[in-house]
Amino acid sequence: MSVTTATKSPFTAEQEAVLLRWKNEYPYPNMGLVEALRSVQDWNRRMTPECVARVAEIFELPFNRVWGVATFFPTFTQWKTGRKRVGLCHGLSCWLAGSDKMEKRLEETLGVPEKTCTADGEYSWESMECLGACEQGPALLVNDRLVGAATEETVAKLKESK
Amino acid sequence: MTKILTKHFDEPKLHELETYKRLDGYKGLEKALTLAPAEVTAEVLKSNLRGLGGAGFPTGAKWGTVPPVDKVPGPRYVVVNADESEPGCFKDRVLLTRAPHQLIEGLLIAAHAIGAKEAFIFVRGEYQNQYDIIEKAVKEAEAAGYTKHAKLMLMRGAGAYISGLDTALLETMEGKKAWPRQPPPFPTVAGLMAKPTVVNNVETLSMLPFILREGGEAFAKIGSAKNGGTVVFSVSGHVEKPGIYEVPMGSKLRDVLTLAGGVRKGHTLKCVIPGGTSMPPLMEKDLDLALDFDQIRAAGTFLGAGGMIVLDETADAVAVAHNIERFLTHESCGQCTPCREGSYWNEEILERMLHGKGTPEDVPNMTRIGENITGKVICALGDTVGMVTRAYIQRFPEDFKKRISDGQKS
Repeated sequence: MSVTTATKSPFTAEQEAVLLRWKNEYPYPNMGLVEALRSVQDWNRRMTPECVARVAEIFELPFNRVWGVATFFPTFTQWKTGRKRVGLCHGLSCWLAGSDKMEKRLEETLGVPEKTCTADGEYSWESMECLGACEQGPALLVNDRLVGAATEETVAKLKESK
Repeated sequence: MTKILTKHFDEPKLHELETYKRLDGYKGLEKALTLAPAEVTAEVLKSNLRGLGGAGFPTGAKWGTVPPVDKVPGPRYVVVNADESEPGCFKDRVLLTRAPHQLIEGLLIAAHAIGAKEAFIFVRGEYQNQYDIIEKAVKEAEAAGYTKHAKLMLMRGAGAYISGLDTALLETMEGKKAWPRQPPPFPTVAGLMAKPTVVNNVETLSMLPFILREGGEAFAKIGSAKNGGTVVFSVSGHVEKPGIYEVPMGSKLRDVLTLAGGVRKGHTLKCVIPGGTSMPPLMEKDLDLALDFDQIRAAGTFLGAGGMIVLDETADAVAVAHNIERFLTHESCGQCTPCREGSYWNEEILERMLHGKGTPEDVPNMTRIGENITGKVICALGDTVGMVTRAYIQRFPEDFKKRISDGQKS
């Protein structure tokens, strides 16, 4: 990674205010970092060096320190997620309930392979580790909200719900 | 059967303060605030409450290791670990959804006991529905004046299983990679921002209102020796009625299975994972085993966080071990080499076996890899990486033998 300087913030004034709010939310500024990066992932749908450099500036931390965090957690991606980021659990219980079949259904329904955004930017899907909904497997997650079991019907409905 | 946490779960509006208060809500906190902090800890010690996040450490004893304010002045914290992500566990999700005030009351009791003026609820990011519920409940509790002695703050994780391990959770909260710390010092001495910190699981804290209201002895009486109260099992897999089931500590495995409707019709039991996929499975001969931390341990596995996965005869031990090792490879934080590399090696070997290319060296290799991980890494995830595949090899040698292609190298 070459030196990245954020001469101009990649964020809007409103977004800058949100990042500052996270910095001041907890007893110590660094405690807001993961939440701040969650906001960046929401807005930008992936982590870029430019975004992370600006977050590092705001939090007064070295770029590498923040880039390490921004590439450690599975929520943060370097590929662009869809505005609707769909997760399908393939933990043991969900796999027993047929998650591998539902992976194929998701790929067919959304028309893109795993971790690839549709051309209109609306959808992406990925297999995820245990989502804590083992009794209703294979568990389906849309933008961090559990939406019940993945079935032929619920997967088909994903594209209808706008 | 005695229930504590799920007793009022047929109340549709239990998540609202008004309903919760009508059902003796916040009486435990009111009682706690009339007691000195040390008296609250003493009551919890008497209750034999164990840490229900998986470790089973006595909660009162954990609190007792927080240095007193006159010896170590400055802030101290309580952190709720609501980062439930062990495959098979979903009871915290249900407790957060249905009884957020029970957790908040317990948290406020714990804060009083250790003198914390600030307390955190760390919720996994994928529980946004639950986060919203708990956020609303915190506002209700604040408005009702229950949070005068401790400020409550919420925080979300970012998808890493390892954040659910107490020291990795603290690193995450400090805005770092979720790399487990090597204790000592333990978090109660140097935790969040190196301040004394108690990290307790959702279920553990949710037990406190009952303990304070009814007394530690009443709680201890419900359970078995040194394992007070009840435990909430999350049951999934090949059963008729998957869901959460609260039973007294020391209940028989057979009885929990019966509650969940038994093995699905037309099939026979192969094994039961008692506490989440990190725990070696129990066999049919263990059906009369009493389920508490100590008796399960004597049977060679762990109660963990009560994530019970039932497997019938259709489950293949190699495929099951592969699913678990794949999970562990993905979730290994990469800090300790044996875990980072070993989980990947095991996954690759198991994958090869699944594709009909097993070799006679595979089982001895995986056994040796396992022996070189467990006990040689910082955290429990690494110990698991070394343990799980060996457990399946030991219990189901035939399944593994079938995957070896006639002793021929392919």
